[in-house]
Amino acid sequence: MNELQFLTWVRGPGLDIAVGIFVLGVLWRLFEIYSLGRKKDLAAPRHAAGASGLHTVFRRSIPPPGGVKRSPVSYIGGYIFHIGLAIVVFGFAPHILLIKNLTGLSWPGLPSQFIDLAAVVTMAAMVVVLVDRINKPVKRFLSTFGDWFTWTVTFLPVLTGWLAVQHLLLPYTTMLALHILSVEILLIVLPFTKLFHAFTLFGSRWYNGKVNGQRGVPV
Amino acid sequence: MSLDAIPIHVINAPPIEAGLTGNAPPLLRELAEQVKRLLATGEASAIDLSALPLTPADLDWLREKLGAGEISVTLQANGESTLNETACPGVWWVTHHNERGAVTSQLIEVALVPELVKAHPQDVQIGYEYLELVLSDL
Amino acid sequence: MQGPLIDTLARQGITRRTFLKYCTTLASMMALPPAAGLAMAEAMAAARRPSVIWLPFQECTGCTESITRSHSPTLEGMIFDMISLDYQETLMAAAGHQAEEALQAAMKENAGKYLLIVDGSIPLDMDGAYSCIGGRSNVEILKEAAAGAAAIVAMGSCAAFGGIPKANPNPTGAVSVSDIIKDKPIVNIPGCPPIPVVMTGVLAHYLTFGSLPELDDKGRPKAFFGETIHDRCYRRPFYDQGKFAKTFDDEGARMGWCLFELGCKGPVTYNACATVKWNGGTSWPVESGHGCLGCSEPDFWDAGGFYKALSVPADPLEFGAAAAVVGAGAGVAVSFANRAKKRAAKAAHQTTTLADLEK
Repeated sequence: MNELQFLTWVRGPGLDIAVGIFVLGVLWRLFEIYSLGRKKDLAAPRHAAGASGLHTVFRRSIPPPGGVKRSPVSYIGGYIFHIGLAIVVFGFAPHILLIKNLTGLSWPGLPSQFIDLAAVVTMAAMVVVLVDRINKPVKRFLSTFGDWFTWTVTFLPVLTGWLAVQHLLLPYTTMLALHILSVEILLIVLPFTKLFHAFTLFGSRWYNGKVNGQRGVPV
Repeated sequence: MSLDAIPIHVINAPPIEAGLTGNAPPLLRELAEQVKRLLATGEASAIDLSALPLTPADLDWLREKLGAGEISVTLQANGESTLNETACPGVWWVTHHNERGAVTSQLIEVALVPELVKAHPQDVQIGYEYLELVLSDL
Repeated sequence: MQGPLIDTLARQGITRRTFLKYCTTLASMMALPPAAGLAMAEAMAAARRPSVIWLPFQECTGCTESITRSHSPTLEGMIFDMISLDYQETLMAAAGHQAEEALQAAMKENAGKYLLIVDGSIPLDMDGAYSCIGGRSNVEILKEAAAGAAAIVAMGSCAAFGGIPKANPNPTGAVSVSDIIKDKPIVNIPGCPPIPVVMTGVLAHYLTFGSLPELDDKGRPKAFFGETIHDRCYRRPFYDQGKFAKTFDDEGARMGWCLFELGCKGPVTYNACATVKWNGGTSWPVESGHGCLGCSEPDFWDAGGFYKALSVPADPLEFGAAAAVVGAGAGVAVSFANRAKKRAAKAAHQTTTLADLEK
């Protein structure tokens, strides 16, 4: 298999398989999680300002008082790499083209120099977050295989994409194929690892906010 | 048929004018080295301008810095070629055109006389034979 | 007509200076140092014309068209005088058995010294019966001719990589020259058709230095195939700015913006079109408003469609809908199982009273 055949495979059958498993996994998990249901709270609801599902969805996006000072790397690094990922994934013209092809949705792209900068910043933030996880004994103790694994599968698409655009290490064709392959791996593992928070994040925040709001506690 | 016959007007032609890239000044340094070598050993050398990432503005800058010298040679061989001495004797600005006038290659040669200008002994021999022929007819 | 090349040229009224000028330009195009132009001119002027045998196999004659029509009557056409083209079915005057005799004679006379040019792929199915010359299969002729060749030039994508005959489902079992011949130096000059100056450049290099030029991992001369179309494209700035033509007749197309979204394969295609151009430097595909097809890459015909951008799926996604159904089904099934478990737990629940605790 030469590199163009490799690229054609990852763009064709490979993508087909990855998207298939992704869609299957996401629907499976969503149905499973949301069909669990919760017991009805029979206590009379208490009302307090700022205590509701919607409030919590937004409030949890802001660090709690003193949080940034206590663990600056987690908050600042986390913010930077999440926003960076969003810019790179949804702002780069070829990515938008893919989304348009798959879903029909389209929007204008950002200049590639800006995407390039965002990718470098994202990778730097991810490396800092990883080093922090290794250096802090408590974080290291709490980390499981899943944490290291998901970091790797998230980092690889950014790295290979950036290397491809910059023409580094390997010929562009090979690097582009590796980039697409790494994204396919990410798609496949996403529904079955903690990366599924991309889908459950707001739902669980809403749930927590609502349960506590019922008791009159803004969380 | 020229493009004029077709109702097309090019809005964004390939960029012709572009700014200075900063790639030209190092070439002057390289030229200085080559001139020094020519003086010391008599060895000729050249810089191929078509192979370098130079914008038209860079080329203009170079041409302006090098100035114009006393000799201009025009060669008609499968299109015109011009070999112009610059203000620095021994440094020649050489441009080759094809028969339609497009530039095929452009270089700066450092030599007492560019190789292309010199007559080759074999050609001189042919010329001599021609002279003999003319003389014998007198 | 044997003898130094410069004599042959002089007979055609081509002067030494014209030749030197040509060599300077050629050296520049091949990214050789400027002094190489002079060295080339001197070496080639004195060189004896090597014997060249051109074998056409499963091909469309487009490669021959490209070379012969390059931009005659300039030096590319003339460069054929540098070589002694002893066999070329399309161009030679002899035909039939006479032509085949000329081939045999050339192979015997110049054994071990001739340059073999091949265009077209070689079919292997049905013992090669899909393409025969004079009753002999292509693969048989190739093996025989290659045995006595100094080097082989695979002209065009078919000879270099199998090309269109090899495209899925490859009915004739077509393969490239390098799939069959393993013990000879092979230069691949892919392209559909290949750029004429690449051919003459390789010949000039061979005549001048007595060796083949530096090749990349696919056997292509690095001087011409060292960079992608995309990296040398004059429309590249528009790609970087995110300005794309969306259709072939929209505002973006008229403004000359990047053709990536219209399926241009420039980013993964290594060739010299963007710099050397076509038809005597008139234009080239992207400049005329159409994306690159990637014709100098292996299996370009099966690379997911000419009008699909590189970043979109090569094939329509077939599993998507089925996966959605299976996923939803699995989710519902699991949720029923979970609910059943919950119900069972509830049913098995025994109420504990104060009396039980005080027992």
